[in-house]
Amino acid sequence: MGALQGRLSAASRGAVLARHALLALPLAFVAGALLVPLGLMFVWSFWERAGFWIRPAFTLASYTEFFAGVRLSVLEWSLVVAAGVTVLGLVLAYPIAYFLALRVRRDLARNVLLLFTVPFLVNYIIRTFSWVYLLSRTGPVNRALIAAGLAGRPVDWLLFSDFAVVVGLIGSYMPFMIYPLWAALDGLDRRLVEASWLLGASPGITFLSVTLPLSMPGVFAAAIFGFVGSFGESAVPIILGGVGYQLMGNTITSALDVLNYPLAAAMSSVVVAAMLAFLLAWYLAFDLRAVLGKIARWRF
Amino acid sequence: MGPGRAGRAVAWAYVGAVLFFLYGPLVPPLLFSLGAAGPAGAGGLTLRWYRELGDNPLLVGGVWNSLLVGALVGLVTPPLALLAAMAVRELRRPRLIVLTMLLPLFIPGVSMGLASAFFFRQLGVPPSLWTIAIVHVVWALPFAFLIVLAVMATFDPVYLEAAYLHGAGRLRAFLDVELPLIRHGILGAAIFSVILSFNETVRTALVQGPNNTVQTYIWSTFLQVGLSPTLYALMSLLIGLTLGLVAVLLVVGARGGVSPRGG
Repeated sequence: MGALQGRLSAASRGAVLARHALLALPLAFVAGALLVPLGLMFVWSFWERAGFWIRPAFTLASYTEFFAGVRLSVLEWSLVVAAGVTVLGLVLAYPIAYFLALRVRRDLARNVLLLFTVPFLVNYIIRTFSWVYLLSRTGPVNRALIAAGLAGRPVDWLLFSDFAVVVGLIGSYMPFMIYPLWAALDGLDRRLVEASWLLGASPGITFLSVTLPLSMPGVFAAAIFGFVGSFGESAVPIILGGVGYQLMGNTITSALDVLNYPLAAAMSSVVVAAMLAFLLAWYLAFDLRAVLGKIARWRF
Repeated sequence: MGPGRAGRAVAWAYVGAVLFFLYGPLVPPLLFSLGAAGPAGAGGLTLRWYRELGDNPLLVGGVWNSLLVGALVGLVTPPLALLAAMAVRELRRPRLIVLTMLLPLFIPGVSMGLASAFFFRQLGVPPSLWTIAIVHVVWALPFAFLIVLAVMATFDPVYLEAAYLHGAGRLRAFLDVELPLIRHGILGAAIFSVILSFNETVRTALVQGPNNTVQTYIWSTFLQVGLSPTLYALMSLLIGLTLGLVAVLLVVGARGGVSPRGG
């Protein structure tokens, strides 16, 4: 970079400024089109309802309505479901990431990872509609259970239930959890694993005391992705939960349906605040490079 | 140190089972739309529901909107992603830049759509294809950024310095030396952005106003009257289109070939 820096100092101040402004354009775009709206949404959550829209005020009414009413139990249940989906997603995705990162040739691993990308790219709402059929009383899952002798008659709780919602959420967001896990495990210094082995540790102990701790940045990143998806999800509970099934996401959209915009803003702000807290914890606790270093060898 | 043959077989079987779980849901719409199963079943195979798609002006309008928005997102997102990736290389505080660019990944769809919708409404911007496109670009940008970043990591900046030593300016050096080597990454980012735009529902539904895209047409029809063979036909076409675009993406990636540093 030395020569580059040299050129920089030689260039006129104005040119450098213009260049930096151009490079900062995408950042300004994300700030203007996402951060500012999110910040304003938080402000508007303190405004009050006015006919078909909102008007300036400072009231905690929306937050009291949120936390005092039945919606608090929706928040609690959403947290439980999101935590469950996150843990289950990690349990399902970690072995795949581990196997692909440490036991498979890298070009083959990349191709298999690609296979996990493809269904993720198809709108998850379309994929979720399919589960309505797959899990129904006469669907393939029930037929397979009966054919295998595991059930005498169609199982009812497969569809329009917590089970169905969890299946839908896992199908929607688990593919995305594999990548950070794979990236963290793939970037692992294998000499540390060998050292543990040479020192006489069993494979189990080596995994628990070396591999797993070193892959934590990826685990945490994957957990955030799983949690973001399932905590704020609005379509899956409507499709698979059955009539009246509420998670945070569709509770927010139903507040919009009754034109209670400040309440929707308040609930949405709570969801975003939870996400940003997780993200901040990740940023402070781990090195971004542990997850992204493989793709981008940028200089710090 | 590797596990035995049996262990590998079990691991591959597990990978296969999870892939089966993920790919399974891509099949039923095709069966329903062809009359091979479901409510329209037992009548034999038919292409009737596909033919009926063209008769619905609301849907045809949604398809056009999706195409226009998709094209716009595919054109705007890659240059932004490229600038952001260059900013990571050249500006200070690269970690903060990366985190900011990845932020849209961490905001739930409902919250992003809601905040954008309120923002546009307070600004007095009426819902249009433009508002949809802006939200789609925010959503696609982190993915496009990661793709460009990954391809740029395979490019050695020493080539740029060589160009400077031969008297090339920054723009000239970029256009003649770096761009040809990372072009496939930018094209890949464009295709990826189009795929994401084409498959977005939740954010779109909140900022679209009266303008349906093909995906929000499916969603609102489901909410109002439920699913139908015609809707399944539409879903099958969208799945096919997405898989087709992924295939194009793969060809572009393969054409990218070997980069100077070898990745």
